Amino acid sequence: MKSQILLKSVTKNYDAHTRALNNISLKISKGEWVSIIGPSGSGKTTLLNLISGLDTPSSGTININDTEITSLNEKLLTKFRRENVGLIFQQYHLIPYLNALENVTIAQYFHGMVDEKRAQVALERVGLGHRLSHRPAQLSGGEQQRVCISRALINEPSIIFADEPTGNLDIKNGEVIIKILKELVNEGHTLVLVTHNMNIAKQGERIIELVDGELSKDSLEAKDAPLAGVISEYIRNEKTHGKNLP
Amino acid sequence: MFLQILARSLAKRKSRVAIAIIAVLMGASMTSGLLTVTNGIEEKLALEFRKFGSNILLVPKSDTIEVGFPGMSFGSVTEQRYIDESDLWKVKKIDNWSANILGFAPFLYQVVQIEHDGNSQNVVLAGTYFNQEFPDLIIGDEPWITGIKKIAPYWSLEGSWIDDNDNKSLIAGVSVAEKLNLELGQLITLSYENPETREKITEQFTVAGIVSTGGAEDSQLFVTLPIAQKLSDRPGKVHSVQVSALCIACPAELMGEEIEKKLPYVQAKTVKHLVSTEMLIMNQLGRMMLLITIVALAASGMGIMTTTMTTVIERRKEIGLMKSIGAENAKIAAIFLAESLVIGTIGGLSGYLLGNVLAQYIGKTVFGTPITPILYILPLTIGISLLITVLASILPVKRATMVEPAIVLKGE
Repeated sequence: MKSQILLKSVTKNYDAHTRALNNISLKISKGEWVSIIGPSGSGKTTLLNLISGLDTPSSGTININDTEITSLNEKLLTKFRRENVGLIFQQYHLIPYLNALENVTIAQYFHGMVDEKRAQVALERVGLGHRLSHRPAQLSGGEQQRVCISRALINEPSIIFADEPTGNLDIKNGEVIIKILKELVNEGHTLVLVTHNMNIAKQGERIIELVDGELSKDSLEAKDAPLAGVISEYIRNEKTHGKNLP
Repeated sequence: MFLQILARSLAKRKSRVAIAIIAVLMGASMTSGLLTVTNGIEEKLALEFRKFGSNILLVPKSDTIEVGFPGMSFGSVTEQRYIDESDLWKVKKIDNWSANILGFAPFLYQVVQIEHDGNSQNVVLAGTYFNQEFPDLIIGDEPWITGIKKIAPYWSLEGSWIDDNDNKSLIAGVSVAEKLNLELGQLITLSYENPETREKITEQFTVAGIVSTGGAEDSQLFVTLPIAQKLSDRPGKVHSVQVSALCIACPAELMGEEIEKKLPYVQAKTVKHLVSTEMLIMNQLGRMMLLITIVALAASGMGIMTTTMTTVIERRKEIGLMKSIGAENAKIAAIFLAESLVIGTIGGLSGYLLGNVLAQYIGKTVFGTPITPILYILPLTIGISLLITVLASILPVKRATMVEPAIVLKGE
């Protein structure tokens, strides 16, 4: 299958002494759900920022939808994000003075055309049809994250990047969000999701583990029981490091 | 959507917006207030200056003839010339500065003898206008009136002014009055001997007033112009004309040139020290006002820049989010600049209103007179406020466009 996301020898240094990612090469196909796991500081968010075009690598190339985004200037990179990428954040990052509907239409505004009806439909899809005029402070965490998902989807991006989308939510709200994400993948969206939560990671068909900025495991490359191999290894490592597991 | 973002953003940050508006208001009120005061008092000051007397002197051009033989000069002879009284109205009807001609007074001088205690004393007698009406020169709806009373309000008079039709009264300078022990109401006899015909004319006058100016007038006697012309047999003639011209920007020379165009045989001399003092004071006042305005605007600009910079720092996550979902730098800059323009407009408008209150206060307490609000200062104040606001926002807006979404959106 043709790669939608292709990383070749991607390295990211923050300064002379801090290397966040080291020589990452990766292929992600269209319609895949790829979960990126790894301990804190392993470079998960850095990798997500690079392939979503929010940041640029120190070396290596990133090719998305047949565009080498590492060669784009800031203006073109912004245009690329606008047209190809949907972003879901752990902190939601809604604009506090805009209501739910406006928080979705603002993404349309930057894309060029505002269509309130479509934004309303997008919010209704995530169960927020009755909360259109509510501001973020008037919404629960789960509701805010659903607004964030609607905003990410409103311009019909082919790839969705989600950084710990359930990190601030309780189990019930987390399940609602995962259900929505599953629907999106079923509709053909590519989903790259960063998480600490193994229960969420294993909802996807592929798990990648990062350790100290390097690609440690990729379930796609494990011949036998690919997901189980990465998961059991990850759990073993976490136990060794004394981390709590979900 | 842009307007929604603008309106909601401003409404959400009321206190910050209020601080920024106050910063603009301070600069705008100083600008508006001082511009109003400067414009308002320029005319009042110019009128005050006019109390110090005329600033243009008209004399007839004269030809000087060298007398002598080749190699031996006996000196020069200057022909005595006069200005025709019938031409005087033209002084008020110059082309561009007519409204600035506040008044004038013609003078015809002669030396007369005054009989006193059996002795005769030579004194300069000047004929002039005191409060002369020009029936054919209508300014507004009324005939124009001019004379000593108008151009020399600094004359301190004991007694009363003379009516321009009164041919039996005179005003004595205080030095003459003291020397000859003249008193108000006293009857005195003046005689004038025509140097050409040797004919002697004698007239009696009543001392209607005694004037003190601190100048040459203290040693002179003043009668109406027709009397002086009749005594010296120079009907319709005057030696000189003192003109009082209102000169806010003090183009006294230009006014003089225009008078010379109307009266080609006349030479207009500006009273240099008076004109230059007026200009100096006006210029100094203008510079001081300008300096205060610049300082106020600079302080205002610093206040706006600090507030806007704080706002950008506070809103860096919002900026990062906008950029992450596809906002170009131009749109981010447009949002912040539009907010600045709203703040600048509100601050400028309220600054204009406050500035007028300030101008009224300064006018009443410092100059003892109300100052009329000037409408054209409103767009000027708003324009300056917008300019300062936009200039002060450039650095914060640049900072906003430099926000890196990957850094500011990192999860806590």
